[in-house]
Amino acid sequence: MESLNNLMYGFGIALEPMNLVYVFAGVFAGTIIGMLPGLGPISALALMIPLTFAMEPSSGLILMAGVYYGAIFGGSTSSILLNAPGVAGTVATSFDGYPLAKQGLAGKALAIAAYASFVGGTISIVFLMLVAPLLGKVAVSFGPAEYFALMVLGLTAVVSLSDKSLVKGLIAAVVGVMISIIGIDLQTGTERYTLGTLHLLDGIDFLVVALGIFALAEVFYMLLRGGGGKEQPRNAIGSLKLSKSEVKDIAPPIGRSSVLGFFTGVLPGAGATIGSFLGYSMEKRLAKDGDTFGKGNIKGVAAPEAANNAACTGSFVPLLTLGVPGSGTTAVLLGALLVMGVTPGPAMLVDRPDVFWGVIASMYIGNIFLLVLNLPLIPLIAKILDMPRPLLLALILIFCMVGVYGMSFSIFDLLLLLGFGLIGLGMRLFGFPTAPLILALILGDIMEESMRRALQISGGDWMTFIDKPISLALLVVAALSLTLPLIKKLVVARRARV
Amino acid sequence: MTRLNTNQILAILIALLALGYLAMAFQIPSFPLPRPVDSDLFPKVLGFVLLGLAGLLFLERPGVDEVPHEPSAEERALPLLLRPWSRVVITALAIAAYALLLVPLGFVLTSTALVFGLARYYGYRRYGVNLATALGVVLVLYLLMTRVMDVYLPTGPLPL
Repeated sequence: MESLNNLMYGFGIALEPMNLVYVFAGVFAGTIIGMLPGLGPISALALMIPLTFAMEPSSGLILMAGVYYGAIFGGSTSSILLNAPGVAGTVATSFDGYPLAKQGLAGKALAIAAYASFVGGTISIVFLMLVAPLLGKVAVSFGPAEYFALMVLGLTAVVSLSDKSLVKGLIAAVVGVMISIIGIDLQTGTERYTLGTLHLLDGIDFLVVALGIFALAEVFYMLLRGGGGKEQPRNAIGSLKLSKSEVKDIAPPIGRSSVLGFFTGVLPGAGATIGSFLGYSMEKRLAKDGDTFGKGNIKGVAAPEAANNAACTGSFVPLLTLGVPGSGTTAVLLGALLVMGVTPGPAMLVDRPDVFWGVIASMYIGNIFLLVLNLPLIPLIAKILDMPRPLLLALILIFCMVGVYGMSFSIFDLLLLLGFGLIGLGMRLFGFPTAPLILALILGDIMEESMRRALQISGGDWMTFIDKPISLALLVVAALSLTLPLIKKLVVARRARV
Repeated sequence: MTRLNTNQILAILIALLALGYLAMAFQIPSFPLPRPVDSDLFPKVLGFVLLGLAGLLFLERPGVDEVPHEPSAEERALPLLLRPWSRVVITALAIAAYALLLVPLGFVLTSTALVFGLARYYGYRRYGVNLATALGVVLVLYLLMTRVMDVYLPTGPLPL
């Protein structure tokens, strides 16, 4: 009952006319950016952050939540139309979405993606509404030691679940933490790694790093891989209508994958990619016509789409209740919130209920917008994909620059952006995952602060991290998350030798 | 002597970075009052961890997709300035020039020049559309930032 009252309060905020405009603008812009191959939700969010500078925190986050949803849906659109998933979370959608588009059924696949996203999003919002306050109550008892352990777990989980080398993931995470502590140490006033320049006294802003290693690096990567000149042919959209039997066919997979997706999203590091693959493989196993998966089965579009949207909502749980993002995307969202002066965590439910419940309500509204307004506009929005690639790449560069300059008014930051763009390109070329770096960058200084506070309370006794059961459990899980993939690798290697 | 693989070269570079980082960590001054953890501890831990990870990377074999992409015959046949790596270098130089010229020339002029110039360089030949799009998007961005969001952008010589 309390949740329902709170939700009504949230709707009161989300339904304010300006906030409605923001939700729609967010969903619309997110769809467009997410649709561009290579630019996923992280880039979309980073590009939109400058727009939130002058906004109320609740309005800013409402806009960002819309961008997030829109970007995921936009990613599905390019997966279906071009077989070019904007993000890893929509790769599974392309398995059946693109074959459907090749059969002239792109409109159907897009409509299924939208319906599945809507249902997945809506079911998971209900779960979020129920789970988040409960988890928030548990999190109130967390001290610095538990927070430190939780952040270590968040980082190791993201590293271990990335599809790239574990060592490279850890290197990316360590470098992210290193960047985060540049500047004045707030506890002692000591300068660290400022290289004697005034520009680094306040540290490096996460937006510079996020836009550099995601958006700018993506432009560089496209130039390097010859994406500058050629455009991919796009399949025609066709009708968006679904028959009754098709709706009946996709309903159960959507329901199952939504629940699965939500709980996958809650786990740190798992998120939309794993959620969508799990949803897809579960339905492939359960379906009687599983052998047609990969050849244009509508259930193969519905399941990953419901799961990835539900996982996106699920990933808000650790962010909003614990203040610890579980993915690169929610890390960028956390960064945006910090810029707006809001610190997510258990206290947010009490201190800023307008932000918390406003965002939850705006998710409902964003989902409805996605379905009612965005879907009919898809044939129009898809024309963006016809935009000449050279022009598009040049425009993305300007969006990055204006984002950074508009935030800091610093030429030095523009040059830093270029530096991080080149670092991001190097990371892509040499197989270093980028999500751990951005997550570590956001968490690094909070992690250090928690560690130092915990040690201050314990009088310098390091056993404080092991003496507390929750902290110990979290650290054990963190250690397991790193060692299990190694053990698995060894077992596979041994089996291959036998 | 066997040739070093990509991971080993990267590992050496990262180890050098870690050593430099550690050297700087040891120069962080101590806080006058005794504290359980001073400003230098965390950086020292990070430096040593990175050094250890560089060691592990040295021993790891590169994945199939992590081997540098060799330019194809088609790419080698292109004029030097149009080869993929040249595009990256020229774009990076253009961004650096943009950063340096933004204040003296103003946002509208530099941004329009950057979009138009790079799109042309990447191969877009419809000059009219290119200029109209570049100018249109830049002006919309300028007005949005300065009039709606109250964010100052340099005007340069233009009376905006």
